[in-house]
Amino acid sequence: MKRVAVILAILGRSALRGLQSAAVTAAIATATIAIALFLVGAFGLVVVNMEGLLDRFGRDLQITAYLEEGYDANALRGLAGRVATVEGVYSVEVIDKDAALERFRAMSGGAALLGGLDGNPLPASLEITLDDAHRTNEGLEILTSALDGLPGIDEIAHGQDWIEGYARAVALVRVSGYALGTVLSLATLLIVANTIRLGVYSRKDELGILALVGASRTFVRTPFLIEGTLQGAIGGLLALLLLLGAFQVAVPQLQYGLTFFLGSTEPRFFEAGEIVRLLLGGAGLGLGGSAAALIGWRS
Amino acid sequence: MRGAWESRDDCPVRMYRVSKSYIAGSAALRDVSLEIRKGEFVFLTGQSGAGKTTLLDLLFAAERPSEGQILMLGRNIARLRGSAIPALRRRVGVVFQDFKLLQGRSVEENVRITLDVVGTPRREARSRVFNMLRQVGLQHRRYHSPESLSGGEQQRVAIARALVGEPEILLADEPTGNLDPDLSIEIIELMLNAATRGTTVIVATHDHALLERYHRRTLRLEAGQLAEDEARASADL
Repeated sequence: MKRVAVILAILGRSALRGLQSAAVTAAIATATIAIALFLVGAFGLVVVNMEGLLDRFGRDLQITAYLEEGYDANALRGLAGRVATVEGVYSVEVIDKDAALERFRAMSGGAALLGGLDGNPLPASLEITLDDAHRTNEGLEILTSALDGLPGIDEIAHGQDWIEGYARAVALVRVSGYALGTVLSLATLLIVANTIRLGVYSRKDELGILALVGASRTFVRTPFLIEGTLQGAIGGLLALLLLLGAFQVAVPQLQYGLTFFLGSTEPRFFEAGEIVRLLLGGAGLGLGGSAAALIGWRS
Repeated sequence: MRGAWESRDDCPVRMYRVSKSYIAGSAALRDVSLEIRKGEFVFLTGQSGAGKTTLLDLLFAAERPSEGQILMLGRNIARLRGSAIPALRRRVGVVFQDFKLLQGRSVEENVRITLDVVGTPRREARSRVFNMLRQVGLQHRRYHSPESLSGGEQQRVAIARALVGEPEILLADEPTGNLDPDLSIEIIELMLNAATRGTTVIVATHDHALLERYHRRTLRLEAGQLAEDEARASADL
């Protein structure tokens, strides 16, 4: 065990010496990893925030059944009671014409719009919430077909189409992120591989001497793998810091646009698990690049 | 920990009808058979291109024989797996004409590299390197760069690197080729000392003055064949 620790210390020192001796090329590889992960991370931030909003949409999904004009106000409670028995319905709230008018007035500019009108043009409605298990297309279909058969219901409104469109946009952004991430990762792997390969060539005398004195293949290769992993981890850390800085600077500047995309949802940065994945991604890129550099190389 | 590697016979080097061809029809070594005893000091001589370096390369497992068998420390080089070569090399020290030192490292670091590959703890390694450098008279130069040393001193560093791991065999390929006569004697003396401590030493040289000065067994190669195996009295002058 002690011998393993000694060898690991020797290999670690060798890796650091390698980084020092090729500091410029190592810095370029590290910066490349940082840029690649920054771009992938930026896409990731957009996706996690859009997905957060999608989750909230799902939780807040509400169906509104507007009632025919002149529907008997006394029959409203009875209708609400029947709707409440439909499969998947969690709650039903009755909004009579007066309540609808009050709500509209309370909305920004609502009072001005109603200024020129006589009477109350707004219909009474039932606001229906589904339970968790039925917040699906199937649950929505069960409810709408049940409502279709009930008297007095004029129109059913829900945000499902909009939500589906938003979900498609999130999926598109996510797929674009994956595609970009794949292309950038491959490019980064090649750059890291070339950097490490240059390091191998620049140290070929040392490697030859190591072979002469009986260094094993693992002993010769491990410092290069450590170098690549360190470059990747540092690149990942730089990307994280850049993302954090950009997030803190850009979010207040883009408040209006973000409100359009995210509504009242507060934009969020990566959580601990996502940060760890980003850093591991960087280290993995570095390790993969150095492993690729050593393919086919004989000491 | 040598275990199965332990060579129990008195001849750590045995070659039986060994030939080596790099190009078909042109043999660098032909039908060479020999045995070298433990602790023996042997000169390998011959003109340039006679096959001296090829023979050392075979003993060092840098090359495989085209024909024949080579037993180094009880292991058959012809059948040795690539992954087993490093373990063999840790028991064989090698010295070259061009020293092969790392110029960006200190003398101490150059010698310590042999101990690093086997995971020798730093403190023990420094102590062993210091003692080895003292034996070759360079302990006061241990923090210097090889570039600041003379040719003779650099070769002494190379010998220290080869011997610090206490190898059972020392191979030297023209170790005095770049040195003047006085320094050449100094280097050969160091290797003779190693032989007296039980290391088998094979020195390839075409320096006749050395062969005349040291009356040691001499293997002479001609056009890849062992032309002469002259055992001499070891009454060194």
